[in-house]
Amino acid sequence: MKKIVVITLTFCFFAAGAMAAEEKTSSAVPDLLQDDVFLEDDYDAQDDALVISDPLEPMNRAFFSFNDRLYFWVLKPVKTGYSYVVPRDIRDCVGNFFRNLAAPIRLVNALLQGRFSDAGGVVSRFVINSTLGVYGFADVAKIEFDIQPQRADFGQTMGFYGIGEGIYICWPILGPATVRSTTGRLGEAFFYPVSYLDLTWSQTIVAYGYDKLNTLSLSGDIYEDFTKYSLDPYVAARQAFYDYRRNLVKKAQGQENNFIDEP
Amino acid sequence: MKKIFLSIVLAVFFSTGVFAAEGPTDQLRPTLDQLIKILSDASLKGDAKKVERREKIMAVVSGRFDFKEMSKRVLGKTWSEITPEQQAHFTTLMTKLLENNYIGQLEGYSGETVEYTGERVKDGRAQVSTLVENNGSKFPVHYILLQEGTNWVVYDVNIEGVSLIRNYRAEFSSILRKDGYDGLVKTIEEKNKSLE
Repeated sequence: MKKIVVITLTFCFFAAGAMAAEEKTSSAVPDLLQDDVFLEDDYDAQDDALVISDPLEPMNRAFFSFNDRLYFWVLKPVKTGYSYVVPRDIRDCVGNFFRNLAAPIRLVNALLQGRFSDAGGVVSRFVINSTLGVYGFADVAKIEFDIQPQRADFGQTMGFYGIGEGIYICWPILGPATVRSTTGRLGEAFFYPVSYLDLTWSQTIVAYGYDKLNTLSLSGDIYEDFTKYSLDPYVAARQAFYDYRRNLVKKAQGQENNFIDEP
Repeated sequence: MKKIFLSIVLAVFFSTGVFAAEGPTDQLRPTLDQLIKILSDASLKGDAKKVERREKIMAVVSGRFDFKEMSKRVLGKTWSEITPEQQAHFTTLMTKLLENNYIGQLEGYSGETVEYTGERVKDGRAQVSTLVENNGSKFPVHYILLQEGTNWVVYDVNIEGVSLIRNYRAEFSSILRKDGYDGLVKTIEEKNKSLE
């Protein structure tokens, strides 16, 4: 009897040790192992869902070149001048202000995606930053309360519900987009406070434009670095855009549960 | 009887360490630590020291990053259509390009620490997630690894969903279609030269 007990206990210890050594998964990080379509035999069998549709490529390439020149000839000098004149702290505050304004968009989308705790975070951040953070200029919620900013937009919500991306469109000035992301952006305008101020067209453009310029000035040399290392910047930008957006949808879908590895 | 029981229990307690074979994070961490150390070394900073610095870095990462595997995946079907000499040459070109891209970008980052945020293992592949700091903001960098024997090697780097290998693969498909394999090789050679 004693021998059986000893053997059973020993076996349990071994089993516990083996289980402890198994994979530690974290629900906070995305699961990037789900698709491994790079083995040479599978090249032609690439998942249909991952193929990018770009029937307007010649036109898109033309717009991409236009945007590239616009950046180097106009945006970059303006951005550099602006960064020189306005200290970083102030530009951070301006960025916070505009980001705070877009809280309703994030709230609606987080709710639509079932991300209730994130939605709560959006509300908390908006309340704290609008009051303690003085109309949103200071991101008190992140600094003092460690409530991190969350991303939620209509394009992501549509993807969450399985709506396809549609074709790739590279808009002049606005840059890479898909039919879905463009529709999303248009929908967001209904929830953006700036749309409800009685502004003329040029005033609206100035408002949006200033926000974009400020964001650009805070993001360093992202575009230069990106194109520096690519052999075909147009394709690189297109691929990166799709990968980034698809990852956002994956994030939205995985937020409530642990990432369940699909076979 | 008591003595035997006690010795078995002790043996088991000490041996549970054996079941935890060195995982992907445990193998990747020393490589990244050494990489960061070389990057933060003041005596190796700047353009003048670039060649020496890069040589040191490549010596450290070559054991952990499988450039041949990356080259294979980036070429896809075409890899099996070229000769072994062409494959070797392509791997050299790809290594240089990746060195410029990955290391070149790291050299520009202000942060000097790497936070490990998670690990995922599935079917001989693994994902090690890290957080890198640059200009006050942190962003996730995920390393995707393959198991070769007991060794875990990196074959992709993924930032916010954007995969390095998938990106180059898309670019290369486009160039292969237009200019063929030789055209692609020439384009990479020119790009590497421009990054010197």
